[in-house]
Amino acid sequence: MSSDLPSERGPVKRRSLQIVAVASATALFLAGCATAEEETTTATTDQATTTETVVEAAVSILDSVKEAGSVRCGTRDALPGFAVLNDAGEHVGFDSDFCRVIAAAVLGDASAVEMVDLETADRFTALQSGAIDVLVRNTTWTATRDGSEAATFLQPTFYDGQGMMVASNSGISSLSDMNGAIVCVAKGTTTEGNAALESSRLGLNWEVRSFDETDLILEAFLAGQCDGWSSDVSQLTGLRSSYPNGAAELVILGEVFSKEPLAPAVLDGDTAWAQAVNWAVLATIQAEEFGITSANVDSIRSSTTDVGILRFLGAEVPGSDGAAVLDPSLSLPTDFAYQIVKQVGNYGEIFAKHLTPLGLDRGLNSLWNDGGILYAPPYR
Amino acid sequence: MSSLPSTPAKVPFYRNLTALKWAFQIAAVLLVFALLYWLYSNYQENISKSNIQTDLRFLDNPANFTIPGNDFDQSQPVRDAFVQGFLNTIRVSFVGIILATILGTLVGIARLSKNFMVRTLGAVYVELIRNLPLLLLITFMNLGVVLQAFPRIEDAWVPLDLFVVSNRGIAIPWYLGPSGQLALIILAAVVIAFVVGKIRVRQADKSGKQDRAWLYGILTFALILISSWMIFGYSFETPLVDGRGTTGGLRIDPSLFALLASLVIYTSSHIAEIVRGSILAVNKGQGEAADAIALSGSQKMRLIILPQAFRIAMPAIGNQYLNLIKNTSLGATISYFELTQVAQITVGNGSPAVPAFTLTLLVYLGISLITSLVVNYFNRRLALVER
Repeated sequence: MSSDLPSERGPVKRRSLQIVAVASATALFLAGCATAEEETTTATTDQATTTETVVEAAVSILDSVKEAGSVRCGTRDALPGFAVLNDAGEHVGFDSDFCRVIAAAVLGDASAVEMVDLETADRFTALQSGAIDVLVRNTTWTATRDGSEAATFLQPTFYDGQGMMVASNSGISSLSDMNGAIVCVAKGTTTEGNAALESSRLGLNWEVRSFDETDLILEAFLAGQCDGWSSDVSQLTGLRSSYPNGAAELVILGEVFSKEPLAPAVLDGDTAWAQAVNWAVLATIQAEEFGITSANVDSIRSSTTDVGILRFLGAEVPGSDGAAVLDPSLSLPTDFAYQIVKQVGNYGEIFAKHLTPLGLDRGLNSLWNDGGILYAPPYR
Repeated sequence: MSSLPSTPAKVPFYRNLTALKWAFQIAAVLLVFALLYWLYSNYQENISKSNIQTDLRFLDNPANFTIPGNDFDQSQPVRDAFVQGFLNTIRVSFVGIILATILGTLVGIARLSKNFMVRTLGAVYVELIRNLPLLLLITFMNLGVVLQAFPRIEDAWVPLDLFVVSNRGIAIPWYLGPSGQLALIILAAVVIAFVVGKIRVRQADKSGKQDRAWLYGILTFALILISSWMIFGYSFETPLVDGRGTTGGLRIDPSLFALLASLVIYTSSHIAEIVRGSILAVNKGQGEAADAIALSGSQKMRLIILPQAFRIAMPAIGNQYLNLIKNTSLGATISYFELTQVAQITVGNGSPAVPAFTLTLLVYLGISLITSLVVNYFNRRLALVER
């Protein structure tokens, strides 16, 4: 009987215990909320101070890169033409080569690169947290990204635009033939909005269907559920070249209806590093304009009398006070342009090596004096 | 020695069972709140670092995408996109629940049939479907059935010249006229038909004669519908193939069809088992009593067994309804624009993830809680009042 007594009283006791526990928990929670608010405010203030300190102390990524002896470059491993892994496990592609251009400029060694493969969703987080020094990953420069992702975008390496791919036998030869068409796009990108905007601009009443993955768009396209497949022209070109029924089955229409400048990005507030990366990219454009390639850079350097080219390559320029080497104080070695061209190549060479085989034309990405918009500021 | 029992020994607090119980409970609560607080403060810190919104202002931004089969314009705010997504979720859930209940009940009864063929087919259906993952079923329905087994629009299947079936959707004949008006008329017709049926039942109870009350109800419904159809001048419009799509009629989006078909097939297999179990749970004497007063097979089922079986099945079927509603979110994987798809797309287009998904979670929670309130209400109405 005595053993029954506690068990009989047990539930009553426990319930009162529960009530007290809940009450105290609620009190704690309320207290916690108040503290949380206060602490958040403090945290924000702290952080603001820290940011200021960073700017003032100016420990540039440029210095840390030189110290580490390698550039950590945010890239990807599965976009044909821009960055893929080859059989030897090396990154090959247009974006990958611009990572090497930066390393050649800053460190004088194009191989001093650590490629960091990133998912699309992680790329800005990686930049913000300092996991990478520079992001060269097929990224469109937009105002929102510039403003809210703490990124500074530099000279675009590739001017892309959104286009439309259709079946060759569809009888569609321009966007205006596509009234009431079903247009398939990838989900969660700017592509959806661009397609919808273009449809209402042309009064074409498209039905825009968005899919999680390229594979699913491909299935729908093959089954005839989509009339058009819209994406950046460079991507469409790659997709067309690997279409299961053969590239001839598909046509990419001439119209391009959005601006997608793909540019390298660095963290906000580090001017020295931003300038270094920017001039590394610009040097490839300037080299093409001068007609300097990886094959002829040595002979040009030793034989030319063009003062502009001598300055650019960091060679001695004869002047009234004897010979001098131009140092524009970019915190880069004076021969950085020579190293870039010698070890990687000029812009045209990089393009021809990776993007021309895909079937991409230079188009907008020609030099300014050749009908394009690539224009490097003078190096003097 | 004799004084020992009289003075109770002072137990140190760390050996006092009550104190220990208290200490553990408080420690557990503190631990949970500390964890939550840690996560929340991390979130706050990360958010303020990356300059990302935490409020609902994003709802006023332009949505920047369109919704297939809808007038929604990309310049309308995100708020409207959420409303459209919500309506699509409700649409699939509502139609899905009705169809799954009908199909599930039929299959459940079929599993108890005396006919070997019917019984076996029912068993195969249930065992095949309910042992598959739903996501796989939906993916298969979309990629395998709708995309591949349905004809292309060029050689669309046009049965009876009334429907157009292709992998761009199924177009069915639909009426022409203001949609709100017809919905109101149908609602009124249902209510009046129900009242008429009730009156007939009461009369039949009084007179003791058999009366086909449900027939009167259906006739009333049809009469009201046909007369108002003529008065307001509605007409039917059959869909036609027009180049890349169809014109006229009502077009059911291919992804909507795939999602609805999968949800109905999947949920009905579960409902069938519940119905079967509930029928078996009805006291055997009830059926024997029905036989004893010479009710026909269908009368026995309709008047004696099923009403009692549904009383037993109600709570379990309510659970299946909740599952179906929540499972509509899988429509996002085949790009049907329900709530989850809208949330994913708007986050992909720059809306802040945490507030957007929190809002989505709360909407689902609201739908589910309201559904379970309704189910519980009917359950209470149906439950046996025990004395």
